[in-house]
Amino acid sequence: MLYREAGQFKTSYGADQAIFPIRQDQIAIALMAALAVLAVPALASEYFLETIFVPFLVFAMAALGLNILTGYCGQLSLGTGGFMACGAFFSYKLTVAFPELHIVLVFLLAGFGTAGVGVLFGLPSLRIKGFYLAVATLAAQFFLVWMFNKFDWWTNYSSSGVISAPPRELFPGIFITGTQADPVTKYLFLLGFVALLALVAKNLVRSRIGRTWMAIRDMDIAAEIIGIRPLWAKLSAFAVSSFYIGISGALWAFVYTGSVEALAFEINRSFQVLFMIIIGGLGSILGSFLGAAFIVLLPILLNNGMLAVDPTISTALVSHIEFMIFGALIIFFLIVEPHGLARLWQIAKEKLRLWPFPY
Amino acid sequence: MVETLASEGVAEHQSAPRKKIGETLLRADNITLAFGGVKALTDISFEVREHEILAIIGPNGAGKTSMLNVINGFYHPQQGRIMYLGAERRAMRPHLAARQGIARTFQNVALFKGMSTLDNIMTGRVLKMKSNIFQQAIFWGANQREEIAHREVVEKIIDFLEIEAIRKTPVGRLPYGLQKRVELARALAMEPKLLLLDEPMAGMNVEEKEDMCRFILDVNDEFGTTIALIEHDMGVVMDISDRVVVLDYGRKLADGTPDEVRANQDVIDAYLGVSH
Repeated sequence: MLYREAGQFKTSYGADQAIFPIRQDQIAIALMAALAVLAVPALASEYFLETIFVPFLVFAMAALGLNILTGYCGQLSLGTGGFMACGAFFSYKLTVAFPELHIVLVFLLAGFGTAGVGVLFGLPSLRIKGFYLAVATLAAQFFLVWMFNKFDWWTNYSSSGVISAPPRELFPGIFITGTQADPVTKYLFLLGFVALLALVAKNLVRSRIGRTWMAIRDMDIAAEIIGIRPLWAKLSAFAVSSFYIGISGALWAFVYTGSVEALAFEINRSFQVLFMIIIGGLGSILGSFLGAAFIVLLPILLNNGMLAVDPTISTALVSHIEFMIFGALIIFFLIVEPHGLARLWQIAKEKLRLWPFPY
Repeated sequence: MVETLASEGVAEHQSAPRKKIGETLLRADNITLAFGGVKALTDISFEVREHEILAIIGPNGAGKTSMLNVINGFYHPQQGRIMYLGAERRAMRPHLAARQGIARTFQNVALFKGMSTLDNIMTGRVLKMKSNIFQQAIFWGANQREEIAHREVVEKIIDFLEIEAIRKTPVGRLPYGLQKRVELARALAMEPKLLLLDEPMAGMNVEEKEDMCRFILDVNDEFGTTIALIEHDMGVVMDISDRVVVLDYGRKLADGTPDEVRANQDVIDAYLGVSH
């Protein structure tokens, strides 16, 4: 009844291409945006901003990147952590060497640098597929983390191997990195930045390049028959994906934690992002956000829930139960709904279109 | 004036031959293809002429699909050469064949299952689209104009093949007959010079076959596309093709008009068997 598109006609192909073609969706998105920009900073405490909203946005960016590669182009990758480390250390070196360079530009340049690294490690994908490719990207993961750990040059010879984000301004006087940055400013900056790059990702996947990725994913032989070069399609997916993941790594180090060592980007980080896109939905921009929200929120909810039930419970037990529930959920999703939360949302929308008269 | 032209057109259409068969478009010279010790094709020569419908027939395992794969660039023959558009082709890859205007459908439908019908056909336009990655990232502007221009072409094909109703349906959900039609639409979106159809009517019922025949004839008629097809239904082959090439055990048995082939003793032996 509420969610019915009857009477909304498209009279041009341009209108038919809109990201949200249904008016109810447009209203919902506008409301969400208003909520995110106005209500969240006003209502959420500093603790909530720092532990939920900021990591959610950073992870959403990483999940977007991996989803482009794995969800849209079908190339399984376990190198996400390594590429995030690239973004973090590239932007650190850049901003230390050129302090006057604007921080957003630094993030973008670090993203382009990571894209180059991604292309390099994507080269084996031309010959190998599936699990074998996953193993090849695992090599990237271990090599990159080892490299940033081993060579002091990356940390400017800091004795602890930890890099600390220097204070940088978005606009004169408004800091988004360093200790004097305000959580609300950080959150609003991330919100804008991630939303903009998510829009770019959506534009890419609904244009020619996105269709070539999906063609390679669904049927690579038929894609080649049409004239798509597998080399170009796969490497461009690796480049774009690494660009996003690199930026998310830079945001992690600079905006989220403020200081970071290479070991923060070890293999567990790769798995975490992979779980996000599996649970959220492979091949869906919305799914990247849903998955990131799910994985960031679930541990916090479980933790608080268990402590509320029994305040004397040991922290070790809490984290073990957390692992178990996580594992069970992954298996549940792989069996019941391999297309993730995004597909559940889509099914709900289809049901809602007919509700309450499903005939 | 318009009326006379129209009536003349109609009159011509009814009396004169449907189309004019032109020069040789593709010529295979002494193609031999072997996989290890197994010879899939032995010394095959034939030609495909412009604007014609050529049928390649033969019993199972005769090498028909292998022949299409050679034309397409999937297989590289050990001997012989392919002349296409008057030039010899070397080191062919499928995406290069596509660039030269060779389109293809598969015996087992090879659609992009996760995409809608519209996106599948739009993917066929990949080679015609020119906007770069940054224009695509911004989307609005040059890229959107291009998307709309190609959408118009694709909509004409959708109209032509009568698949308007399933435009936005994911192809994985479509019945087999429609999937075959979408695959044909995707091949047509490439605006091919030479269209290779590998058993376009396999597994269809009579009505679906009739529809598909009509589409193949219409494509040939309206766009002048040269078509080489593999088909097992002899009624269909004899009805719609201009010439027939018969293969058996990797060798060419006969080559000629449907009537000539039908009268050929070797062909009759191959299909009906010989008493020893």
